[in-house]
Amino acid sequence: MSNSKIDIVSIVESKLKDKVQIQLGQLGNAAVNTSNGLHRDVVKVMLEADEKTAIVAITGLDLGANLGLLYHLRTSNAFITIRAEVPKDNPKIQTIVDLIPGAAFSELEVADLLGVVFEGNPSSGHFLLSEQWPEGIFPLRKDVKANEVKLNPPPPEGARTPEIGRQVKIIIGPQHPALLEPEKFAVTVDGEIVTKVEPRLGYVHRGIEKASESRTYLQDVYLVERICGICNACHAYGFVGTVEKILKTDVPPRAKYLRVVTLELNRLHSHLLTLGHAGLEIGYETLFQYFWRDREPIMDLIELTSGNRVYSSLMTVGGVRRDIRDTDIPRIKTTLEELRKKLPFYRQIYTNEASIKARMQNVGVLSRSDAIKLGMVGPVARASGYDIDVRKDEPYEAYGEIPFKEIVYTEGDTWARMNVRMDEVEESINIIDYALDHLPTGPFRIDAPRNVPIGEAVCRLEAPRGELFYYIKSNGTANPDRVKVRTPTFANLPSFLKTAIGESIADVPPNFVSLDPCFSCTDR
Amino acid sequence: MIDFTLIFRILVFPGFTFILLLTLFCDWVERKIEARIQNRVGPLVAGPAGILQPLADLIKLLTKEDIEPRDAKKTVFKIAPILAFAFMVFALCFVPIDGASVLSTTGFNGDLIVILTFSTIASFLLFLSGWASCNPYGTISSARVLTQFLGYDIPLFLFALTPAFIAGTLSIFKIASIQTIPFIILAPWAFVLFIITMQAELEKDPFDVPDAESELVGGLETEFTGAKLAFLHLTRDVQIVFGSALVVELFLGGPYGPVFFGLPAFWYTLWFVLKLLAVVVLTEYITTLFARLRIDQVLSANWKIVLPASILSLMLTVALVTWVYPLVVL
Repeated sequence: MSNSKIDIVSIVESKLKDKVQIQLGQLGNAAVNTSNGLHRDVVKVMLEADEKTAIVAITGLDLGANLGLLYHLRTSNAFITIRAEVPKDNPKIQTIVDLIPGAAFSELEVADLLGVVFEGNPSSGHFLLSEQWPEGIFPLRKDVKANEVKLNPPPPEGARTPEIGRQVKIIIGPQHPALLEPEKFAVTVDGEIVTKVEPRLGYVHRGIEKASESRTYLQDVYLVERICGICNACHAYGFVGTVEKILKTDVPPRAKYLRVVTLELNRLHSHLLTLGHAGLEIGYETLFQYFWRDREPIMDLIELTSGNRVYSSLMTVGGVRRDIRDTDIPRIKTTLEELRKKLPFYRQIYTNEASIKARMQNVGVLSRSDAIKLGMVGPVARASGYDIDVRKDEPYEAYGEIPFKEIVYTEGDTWARMNVRMDEVEESINIIDYALDHLPTGPFRIDAPRNVPIGEAVCRLEAPRGELFYYIKSNGTANPDRVKVRTPTFANLPSFLKTAIGESIADVPPNFVSLDPCFSCTDR
Repeated sequence: MIDFTLIFRILVFPGFTFILLLTLFCDWVERKIEARIQNRVGPLVAGPAGILQPLADLIKLLTKEDIEPRDAKKTVFKIAPILAFAFMVFALCFVPIDGASVLSTTGFNGDLIVILTFSTIASFLLFLSGWASCNPYGTISSARVLTQFLGYDIPLFLFALTPAFIAGTLSIFKIASIQTIPFIILAPWAFVLFIITMQAELEKDPFDVPDAESELVGGLETEFTGAKLAFLHLTRDVQIVFGSALVVELFLGGPYGPVFFGLPAFWYTLWFVLKLLAVVVLTEYITTLFARLRIDQVLSANWKIVLPASILSLMLTVALVTWVYPLVVL
């Protein structure tokens, strides 16, 4: 299993010695500066050396005369960033989709928001922006002011022709009972079999990446927290963690443990939500009601520890904003213990109940190699036997000191994805228990400097839905120069688009919900 | 000479009004049972313990705006829901409720077949109403209704024949009244399979694929509003009452039970309603316990398990009626 011996940096260095320039320790393990389309060669070398090379994100930057591109890649034991630049007046670069299919969405996003043309990427049209967005204006470029953009008038509504025949196009979304958030999927079915899925993202694109460039670092913590209501603490930590890397501050040990408790409470309630919601999608309302009933005490714990039921607003640069009272610890532990007692019942339902097995087993099967190629993260990847968990691979905060199991299933179907979450609920309880037992004494916050020096950093963390990625570039002013967020659902969506084809329309909801999709995350 | 008794029987008791109230009451029982199993409170506000909630929902829907989609086939779209409701109520009129059926003179040998046919026609009208709405969700849902009831109608008929064979008649009135020992004891396998088939016929969990909201939004009801939607809902509820009533008549001895004092009609109605509620609770219990199956799983369960089982059940019944029951009970 473990091929952690691969030293990807020296392999790239030896193979492409004179062509690329390697900066060790920057933006992950190393940043590789390329020019003239050499980024493809670096990707090829990495793919040859390590079969677990997968794309994490592509960050687009406005560097003045040029547009910068950062290809963030993850290998089995390292995190590499490839830099490339294209001139602004002729922003063309070769695609890497043919090498790594999972890069398709990332390229489309950069093309839409920064106007980079990826030669060889077949898709066209807007990806996140509205259909009414004017041509030739790219919101993430520095010269674009959000309040000066004039939208085109909406296109006239065409006469609708009823499509009744063998091939019926079923529109799932933007408003649909199976989706809790607006996003559109045009599913073409032949009888009951899905033949085509066309996604249309961007219904909840709020331009948070752009907005954070006009706010101070402190304000941005609260802004990015609003990317997602469910994993809000993860987003806040992603931001402060990145800023702390630029500042090179180390938070006190107690803060590290408190952060772990908050992040795990986040995971706990998110997983319980999905496990219940999956029940609703397959018409198992009783399961849904039970899970959501048992999720409520976790929400109370979040309120107890942070003061807020949903947005914990606990993370801040240099530590956490509130300490946990010693008198509250017993209550937290009893609540978790009560939940732990109920878990065997739920586990038994998810593993043995006949109708759940009938609906979830062999639905949306994603093989391990596809999971790597498409860049799956989190429970979706782990259900396909692709063992990535940032908490284990690159321990942040106190995760290195806390023992816990990495849950991996090999079936790759919807059933396995839900069971990964089921098992992770128990692991989360263990982690919180351990963290509370071993809570170090001392301060829970240090005063971090408000002025962030010039620099850039990346931060990865394991959000409930998978690896969450943050990139921040600072130009020395009060506001960040660029904030890039790659959310787990954004990475996981290609799995659904691939596995839904050829299955029944009835399999679409369980397959879809097994990704634990979050569109306010995806669109930002 | 107008027969006022007959008019009263048709319009008030045990005819239309009673059936309507019984339907709303069963709806309330179902919602309450489902809620309690799911750890919720269920209807609570309208009337004591929310008992008037189904009526309130019905009145609310009747007062809502009635919208017809431009592409809908207007005539079918308009009449199918109300016709389906009418057929279901008509079918219930043949079921003995207070000791005799609503149209007490019309009971005849073979009315079991007639009412099963009526319920099939009602299912077909539901299919038509969804098809006529010309909505993709409605169309797919209708196709599912059609495939499902075509498949499950055959075993339902065959299981319904089991009590008929034991009783030696096709008159539902005679089948009900002959049961000194309820047929649930004589043919328990048929009872269990009949309940399961009924569940599929009524499109309840785990067989509720035609109105799987996570795939098909409102299913065949998607384009319906106002009074038409009210009638569609009502048809579904009457179908549930009808199915449960059929179980009561065929397996639980119908409305007949001990009469302690006073009018037998009162006691018969009481026994009927109590038995009906027991069946409703049982089916609702099954509904809450399972996830929804997929349409192909529903169909393969039908053709591979339920249909062969129904034929086997029939053969077993014939054998028992010929050689065993005459010696033991009848």
